Amino acid sequence: MLRLAFGLLLAAAAFIASAAELKPWEGGATPALALEDLKGKPHDLGEYRGKVVLVNFWATWCEPCRAEMPSIDRLRNSLKGKPFEVLAVNMAEPLSRIEKFSETMPLGFPLLRDRDGSVSKTWKAKLLPASYLIGRDGRIHYVAYGELDWSSAPVRARVNELLQ
Amino acid sequence: MNRRTFLKSTTAVAVAQSLPWQGAFAADGWRTFETVTRVEVKDSFGVARAWVPLPLEMDTSWQKAMGNSWSGNASKADVRHDGKYGIAMLYAEWSDKEMNPVIEVTSRFMTRDRATDFSRADSAVDLSAADRQFFTAPTELIPTDGIVRKMGLDITKGAKTDVEKAHAIYDWIVEHTFRDPKTRGCGVGDVKSLLESGNLGGKCADLNALYVGLARSVGVPARDVYGIRVAPSKYGYKSLGAGTANITKAQHCRAEFFAKGHGWVAIDPADVRKVVLEEPPGNLPIKDEKVVAARKRLFGSWEMNWLAYNMGHDVALPNATKAPKLPFLMYINAEADGELRDQLEPDSVRYTITAREITA
Repeated sequence: MLRLAFGLLLAAAAFIASAAELKPWEGGATPALALEDLKGKPHDLGEYRGKVVLVNFWATWCEPCRAEMPSIDRLRNSLKGKPFEVLAVNMAEPLSRIEKFSETMPLGFPLLRDRDGSVSKTWKAKLLPASYLIGRDGRIHYVAYGELDWSSAPVRARVNELLQ
Repeated sequence: MNRRTFLKSTTAVAVAQSLPWQGAFAADGWRTFETVTRVEVKDSFGVARAWVPLPLEMDTSWQKAMGNSWSGNASKADVRHDGKYGIAMLYAEWSDKEMNPVIEVTSRFMTRDRATDFSRADSAVDLSAADRQFFTAPTELIPTDGIVRKMGLDITKGAKTDVEKAHAIYDWIVEHTFRDPKTRGCGVGDVKSLLESGNLGGKCADLNALYVGLARSVGVPARDVYGIRVAPSKYGYKSLGAGTANITKAQHCRAEFFAKGHGWVAIDPADVRKVVLEEPPGNLPIKDEKVVAARKRLFGSWEMNWLAYNMGHDVALPNATKAPKLPFLMYINAEADGELRDQLEPDSVRYTITAREITA
């Protein structure tokens, strides 16, 4: 039994080790982001100034993107009432595909459509998921390429730091 | 889905889909593909590293990158670039505690066939002086002086324009070289040795590098384009496509030259020699109608059942312990405990690459 528990611990450690890191952003100015959500409602990042925003580029074919989505939702729920928003930008997939995904994984944040992938390229989101944490000043402060546990303590600490 | 369950699968759990503008692009011949590259560094002791070539980042009229993702137990994974040519690769690293390093890289991209219409020219289409210098410069294995320049001048004697010179070199490669099935991988592209030995046999990395060297030696900008076949040929050539979804050994490089007024022109003399050797029933005469058709088509056009990775030479793998510069990056490279594994031996690294077309 102990051996099994140890094995599970090792597996968990390996899982954690595979996660991406939230690194300080050194890529310059925040690119523009103005896209519609699944219902056609426009979202402009510029209008979120004063809030901390997580911009997450994803696709339904990207397994790590799907895997981290629930943790993003947990983070968002834990920060209810605070100036924190999530904009999840789908990279060039058809509406029907995104809607189907949305039905199987209901999420509390808007899913935006980058119809031709041009916005994703402007943001240099080459490796999905690509996540950018934007401070209340509108500047990108942290970036993560790859799957991250957004409800983990180290990530929460970064977000709280930006919320101050 | 449990990540470990996912990793046991040889193909990514990706959902078949079409792109939103697929209708519009499909009319122009765009096709969407997905490749899944799974790499396991076997018998790993010490820190392990892997370098996986990614689709060409630059959008062209014939290929567009749609994104990459990775799964696995790497402690670090990110997109790195070779400094001189900007080659994109996924770099993965495992600590010495990981005994079974594994990573799976999924890439999506769109391609469409390309062809140059030599009857139409736009005088505004030209290379900058810096680019012209860059694409006529020698590389470590592609010198442009000595025997290479002498051959280049002989072959292009009487040719006036860059297109005429490029065509003369193309014809010479098709008529004087041969595809050697015993060549490891796609060859290394050691142009000087090839010419000095007088044995003009090799595979795409040899024959098309020879093309590039000869063209550059007479001032015609040219470059190799390294990649992999991802689908069967729709033009009836069994030898010019990937016969199965497993494309682990389907690497193939092509070449381009630059013609003022036309831009970069697609060519592939090595594939003409492949048709000669491999198209059933095999060893076709050069006047066989299939060879003649391929020869005509492969000066100025590519069927894009193939993914372009990059156009680089003399590649230094970022963060490699003691890897020498590679002539090009077309294969998976990995090292464990400071030793680079043999990139032409998939079992030493154990990698598989699968491809599929994404249809509605």
